[in-house]
Amino acid sequence: MDLLASILYDTVYHAAPIILCVIGGVFAYQANVLNIALEGMMGIGAFASTLTVYFTNSLVLGLLAGVLAALIFGAIFSVMGVTLRGNVIIIGVALNLLVTAIAGFVMVRMNVANISLSSLNVSDLQIIIPGIDAIPILGPIVSGHPILTYVAFIGIWLMWVLSYRTKFGTYVRVVGENEDAAKSLGLKTNFYKIVAILIGALTCGLAGINLSTERLGLYTNGMTAGRGFVAIAAIYCGRGDPLKSSLYAILFGFARSLSINLAIYAGPASGLFDVIPYVVMVVVLLVVQVSKRRNVRTRGFANG
Amino acid sequence: MKARTVGIRILNSLIPVLLAFVVGGVVIASIGENPVETYWILISKSLLTPKGFLTTLHYAAPLILTGLAIAVNFKAGIYNMGVEGSVLLGGFFAGIAGAYLPATLDPTMLKLLCLLVGIVCGMLYVVVPALLKAYFHVDEMVVTLMLNYALAKVLEFLSTGVFRDQGAGYVCTPTISDGAMFQRISSAKLTPFFFISLAAFVVMFFVMNHSKLGFEITAMGKNVEFADAMGMRVRRKIIVLMLISGALAGLAGAGYMLSDQYHYTLSFSGDPGLGWDGMLIALLGNHSPVGILIAAIFYAALKTGADNINLYSSVPKEIVTVIQGLIILFLAVKLLDERFGLRDRARKRISRRHSAAQTSAGVVSDNNAGEA
Repeated sequence: MDLLASILYDTVYHAAPIILCVIGGVFAYQANVLNIALEGMMGIGAFASTLTVYFTNSLVLGLLAGVLAALIFGAIFSVMGVTLRGNVIIIGVALNLLVTAIAGFVMVRMNVANISLSSLNVSDLQIIIPGIDAIPILGPIVSGHPILTYVAFIGIWLMWVLSYRTKFGTYVRVVGENEDAAKSLGLKTNFYKIVAILIGALTCGLAGINLSTERLGLYTNGMTAGRGFVAIAAIYCGRGDPLKSSLYAILFGFARSLSINLAIYAGPASGLFDVIPYVVMVVVLLVVQVSKRRNVRTRGFANG
Repeated sequence: MKARTVGIRILNSLIPVLLAFVVGGVVIASIGENPVETYWILISKSLLTPKGFLTTLHYAAPLILTGLAIAVNFKAGIYNMGVEGSVLLGGFFAGIAGAYLPATLDPTMLKLLCLLVGIVCGMLYVVVPALLKAYFHVDEMVVTLMLNYALAKVLEFLSTGVFRDQGAGYVCTPTISDGAMFQRISSAKLTPFFFISLAAFVVMFFVMNHSKLGFEITAMGKNVEFADAMGMRVRRKIIVLMLISGALAGLAGAGYMLSDQYHYTLSFSGDPGLGWDGMLIALLGNHSPVGILIAAIFYAALKTGADNINLYSSVPKEIVTVIQGLIILFLAVKLLDERFGLRDRARKRISRRHSAAQTSAGVVSDNNAGEA
């Protein structure tokens, strides 16, 4: 029973930052902008928030700094990729590399190997819902998580509404599906693309804060460990639907949770369990792609 | 190619570099150091002394290979991020071969075997993403990125377990035998591996510039649907190109192992890693082999210079990584068009605005390389 509870708890725990990335990242996908800088936006959010809390001891300022830093990255991405029409893949790679470079530079200046918030007790940030936390199965899922984890799950619904029940969401998809048509309707396509990217930056910043400050009180370089790319894979699989994409993010969280919880029983091979989540994601991507292409009967390489 | 086109291409690579150095200089100045002095250390110690220059060439050897590995894929529109993984896998098993093969083998034979192991491993690593891309249209970028993380975990597992050197105080594999090591040519770090790398460069130069495959790479990069419609076997070409890339990257990893590292540690490829460096080099060199050769040497000079910055000034050497990131960022935007100058481009844009206003249907060019 304990094992089941901890698997469920860890599933939510590991899914949350990826869900946060996904629900914002879907907009760029819908607007037909390939944003592979999700990883970098998450990383810079994590770094900026931890650094700010380290110096100011204020969680609110940390939250603001994390979001702001991610938005700055989003703005750079927008200006270079949309306004100046640069190659978005290269910009994404550059931003991802810049995070570790900037953080490394600052940390060397500070003479530390990682930023650790000793004044912060992360278990204080966990919200324990009285009554529910005692219920088996439901308890570990719903109770005892930090606040941004709840934001992530509420955000799925919010972003679904924004995407499918507002004019803005429709316009973003129109821009993504056919930019020429959108332009002929008088839509400012660049505007919608940029806003889509910035929404992604905002939620990725939150994901970074969730990952570093809120859960561990710690920033180390490389702590995002490819979660941004997992989010991209989830978005691909869910084809830009916030709800479906989030389900794939939860699937990844589940795989990771399983690998961590079962590794205890695996003895010396436990190191290999870390591989499972990434392999699961590749397999899921393959399955989704195959089922999508089964209906395509036209000849040629590029169809589908 | 017209002289003007070449000139604009060179400028397109030079301007981002200069911009990045300016921004880096502002950062250096903001922490109270002298940027000119720092840059002078960077350049003089890595390019202007004989020993420094040979060290630079030594570091350039694997970078030429990873740069080519990236270029041969990116130019064809295949965004293979698995070069880093191929480097790691090739380097790891070249190191294992070097340590476990009988040391009594002929040294040349031993080195060749190790390099061969590296090449094969580098190719094996890209087989899965290549097949998925060619036959199922699974995005190669996401797959290779995922597999890079998975691979790093596997290699960590192997080097902490089965292949751990028990005598060492930290996690690493056993040191390769003396016969497998490339010996230094002079007092500087340069080893014969540099010439192997140069040989690979010559081969790739002819493949990319003077062969049918090279033409097909360009065609695929320009428009893969057209290439397919014209009867090119795109699927097979994707697999071939990714295998070539894997082989080059594997060779880079193996050579780096035999000429510099001698055993696999968890930071074998450095930060950000030889594969990622290769991406910058390929972009900087505009995917042309000669450009890549020059870019690799320039980049290796940054690497050598970074160590010297650490020795001779109080600026953290991470500043070089920042500059590298900025170079890539600025490279993403083509500031000057190859065919039109900035002026023509501006004029074109204005006239486009006019016509767009009149017909209310603007001329659009799709710049999203991602969905291709």
